[in-house]
Amino acid sequence: MELDRCLELLYVGQLLPEATLKALCFKLKEKLVKESNVVHISTPVTVVGDLHGQFHDLLEIFQIGGAVPNTNYLFLGDYVDRGLYSVETISLLIVLKLRYPSRVHLLRGNHESRQITQSYGFYSECLNKYGGGSGVWQCFTDLFDYLVLCCIIDNELFCVHGGLSPNVQTIDQIRIIDRFREIPHDGAMADLVWSDPEDSSASDSNDGRSTASTTHFQVSPRGAGFTFGRSVVEKFLQLNGMSRIYRAHQLCNEGYQVYFGGLVTTVWSAPNYCYRCGNKASILELYDKDHSFFNVFEEAPENKLLNSNSATATGGFLHEYFDDSVGTADIFSDEYQVASASKRHVEYFL
Amino acid sequence: MDSRRVPGPGINIVQVNQAREAFARTVRARDPRLSSQSSAQLTTDSNAFPDTTTAMSSPGAIKGRHRCGNPNNPACPHCSAVIIPAPRASLPLEDTPSISVEDWVVSTRKKPILNSRELEEWEQVLGPLTLPEMIFGNSFVRVENAKHGWCLEFNALDALKSVKLEDSGIRVSYANKWIDSKKKQQRHSDLDDRSLEIGQHYDWTYTTHYKGTLKASNPIHTLTRDDAEVLPLDKLARPDPILFYDEMVLIEDELADNGISVVSVKVRVMNERALILCRFFLRVDGVLFRVYDTRVYVEFDENKVVREYKKYEGDYKSVLSKQNAGHSRDPKAILRDSNWVVQHLSLVKRECDVIQF
Repeated sequence: MELDRCLELLYVGQLLPEATLKALCFKLKEKLVKESNVVHISTPVTVVGDLHGQFHDLLEIFQIGGAVPNTNYLFLGDYVDRGLYSVETISLLIVLKLRYPSRVHLLRGNHESRQITQSYGFYSECLNKYGGGSGVWQCFTDLFDYLVLCCIIDNELFCVHGGLSPNVQTIDQIRIIDRFREIPHDGAMADLVWSDPEDSSASDSNDGRSTASTTHFQVSPRGAGFTFGRSVVEKFLQLNGMSRIYRAHQLCNEGYQVYFGGLVTTVWSAPNYCYRCGNKASILELYDKDHSFFNVFEEAPENKLLNSNSATATGGFLHEYFDDSVGTADIFSDEYQVASASKRHVEYFL
Repeated sequence: MDSRRVPGPGINIVQVNQAREAFARTVRARDPRLSSQSSAQLTTDSNAFPDTTTAMSSPGAIKGRHRCGNPNNPACPHCSAVIIPAPRASLPLEDTPSISVEDWVVSTRKKPILNSRELEEWEQVLGPLTLPEMIFGNSFVRVENAKHGWCLEFNALDALKSVKLEDSGIRVSYANKWIDSKKKQQRHSDLDDRSLEIGQHYDWTYTTHYKGTLKASNPIHTLTRDDAEVLPLDKLARPDPILFYDEMVLIEDELADNGISVVSVKVRVMNERALILCRFFLRVDGVLFRVYDTRVYVEFDENKVVREYKKYEGDYKSVLSKQNAGHSRDPKAILRDSNWVVQHLSLVKRECDVIQF
């Protein structure tokens, strides 16, 4: 099947045949294997954070930010899990990357992993949508191993899914990671997709004491994983001649969150996360290295279809959302309002 | 950061959303089902106790006994007032659906997660606790007795206050492996000795022993412990029409993808009684499960409240082994269902409190 034909199908929310998907994944792997762990691109580019299978919001992003290939996009990872349309989301991104390889860049997030997708919905969704065995899921997760880890824009904006690692002082140390594997629990590759900034400046300004430990790396109380503080960021930026870090990975109500006076910024692109958080989302439009705009948006109207069914995103409910009415119904029509009121969920819990 | 807009592809979504909201509001305003209500109800201050002047009809009759208060929702099939809460509560309107039966008022509010300003305020209050990923801090479920000024509420702030600020002793399944390998690497990297110690101690599983927040204007109105009391399952299992139903999550955190910790509340109000279930559900992948249930049962005519608290806990492997072969293709799917999980955990503790007015 031709790529443009695939795009046509995907843009209207249809699934691709299993054989086509496998061929596409294979093709993309061939392309990605040649890419370095760190990709260099230049502005203008629009940076997109976590999507988590919220396919309608991805389409909304293309409405707001401009369609591919008219706008360049950098996606920071976490395309799958939690949302109900992970398969559609990742399929569309794969085809876009194949069709416009220099216009679309895909980084790896912590959810682009075999272990995580088994627990957070993508695995179940692949089984539900493609039936039979887990072949489609395997093909997607094999592809995930090839996604690149970081991106540098205009030689000074460092983009990554999670954050920094104590094992990474220079960007060259990222270049030598063997990335073609499942995300390990441990080491530089894990930290890049997992770690979070810990901004202690709020408490510092109040009690006047700045403890050294809170500006460095700290082990999370879970017993694995790091948080990184201001001095870590300053050191990294200085050593590598970078000016800022853009990352995703953490939900924020306003759609973005600025840390350490702008040195680190979180971009979050899944509005009304899990169809119930009520948060805003944003995409970061970078015009050049000094000019940017956070385009903040709310959930796509199609998601409200799910909400009105009082969606609890558990696997068991999945199939009922995929009937034909989704996508064609006018959610503002009286018929729809009446139907959704009658379908509203009431439970005789004990 | 420069927020100046330079001409480029894309439109400003704020305007699009405003237009959508305005259109949705117009459509709602034209809804014939809404116009059948008195305009007085639409202007009722939803925060005040709706006055329960509705005439007492014969007990057992559904019509006229309860009173609904909520401006934004479809009509109640019993009294043609609006009752069922909107699934989405981010409208600028204060939307606090409620229902009154005799002296009792059950109300709920659903709001989006806290914004960054609110989060900062909460951080001050909750101290060393690193806040969970999702806090629905402006949501609540409340049952109150207007006559006696007695109120029991479930909210996120008080649930988080009950999280211990000490080491829970629980570690993720691969913690030992992780620390060992870090220790080996230590000399090659940026880590000093101190950074391999956990920075701040708090219960990262957010295990909470929260049983609701009691606000009583009269100090004698406290719940008294009586473990002999049981919930009348026969009455609760009866399919009496549900006049008011809502469910919400107060706190949720996916433990950096090591499982889930969630506090959720469900409430249903029937003609003669109400039941609230506040459930803390914890799954640490490869380690353990916990379910702590608080059930509040209100019998309207007896003016009696029973609060039952049950703690369940179980080992991850033993629960995983109990799922039957039918789920084997996707064995972990069932582990997200707290109703299924709780059946396979053992009861650790049960407490019961009662109050009668």
